[in-house]
Amino acid sequence: MNNKFDALKDDDSGDHDQNEENSTQKDGEKEKTERDKSQGSSKRKAVVPGPAEHPLQYNYTFWYSRRTPGRPTSSQSYEQNIKQIGTFASVEQFWRFYSHMVRPGDLTGHSDFHLFKEGIKPMWEDDANKNGGKWIIRLRKGLASRCWENLILAMLGEQFMVGEEICGAVVSVRFQEDIISIWNKTASDQATTARIRDTLRRVLNLPPNTIMEYKTHTDSINWHHRSLLFCWRATWKILLSWTRGIGRAFYVLRTG
Amino acid sequence: MSGGSSCSQTPSRAIPATRRVILGDGVQLPPGDYSTTPGGTLFSTTPGGTRIIYDRKFLMECRNSPVTKTPPRDLPTIPGVTSPTSEEPPTEPSQNHLRNSPEDKPAGGEESQFEMDI
Repeated sequence: MNNKFDALKDDDSGDHDQNEENSTQKDGEKEKTERDKSQGSSKRKAVVPGPAEHPLQYNYTFWYSRRTPGRPTSSQSYEQNIKQIGTFASVEQFWRFYSHMVRPGDLTGHSDFHLFKEGIKPMWEDDANKNGGKWIIRLRKGLASRCWENLILAMLGEQFMVGEEICGAVVSVRFQEDIISIWNKTASDQATTARIRDTLRRVLNLPPNTIMEYKTHTDSINWHHRSLLFCWRATWKILLSWTRGIGRAFYVLRTG
Repeated sequence: MSGGSSCSQTPSRAIPATRRVILGDGVQLPPGDYSTTPGGTLFSTTPGGTRIIYDRKFLMECRNSPVTKTPPRDLPTIPGVTSPTSEEPPTEPSQNHLRNSPEDKPAGGEESQFEMDI
């Protein structure tokens, strides 16, 4: 199959083939059917807290994504690479998921865990995110698991005190460092972003000199689009010079 | 946080529409003070009304609830990411993870939080 065309295909049906990176074909097949099944069931019935469980302020959904190295991602292929793990509505249901997932520090390769409010996709393009931004904190290797746990516990427990503003949190495992981030709805709301920053400092026990960076999603999108555009232009230029070269060669052959 | 674990879930009640507290840029509500509210009700001081608030300590205690020992029924199998089957031998790293949370890791558990140079 041709990945480039697959990435461009705007296809939400779930039959796209994004599992090339899986170790074996069998695992890939199994995973795909399981995922479709879980997505189907989560669409049908609402997730509610069980009896005697502690309800959360919001339902949340765990997502997992893994990028095949070296391939530029368009937003469609990003959407295809991201998998829903499941949705929970209570503290106990959260622990059922969390206890049966590996810790971020034990993930391999270029992968991310996302924990977003139910109904918000962990993508810049989602309506809840398009005017938003994120605080990002870069961590040296070995800290991600603990920081991620503290971050999501604070989010689930409504420790940020910014009303409806929080969208979700991400932990990104990268080659030399790990990154945790928390996304909010309104990047221009400075009171909110300041309060999120202060809560992050408190719940993550960060030393005062930790560098925290706020990025609006529009900046991220622009940067991403610019780099994609650059790739396309470069490819186009190469193709153009080839055709010209071939054309010239033919011309020389005919006339010469 | 003031020590005691708080599960500050409030019974649902109609929100009186007459009272409205406008909060400025957030400095009036220092984080840390809210868990001292008896019963944990934050009604009318929380932007957006009543909220279900849990502190870290309480959430960690819920982890030991028996229901958390079994994986969710529709947990997808993602190799290296999820471990939905509970009939794995106890030597599996994922099973160890159940007991060894980052919290009770013997080495560098509590310290690592403070000696972060980033």
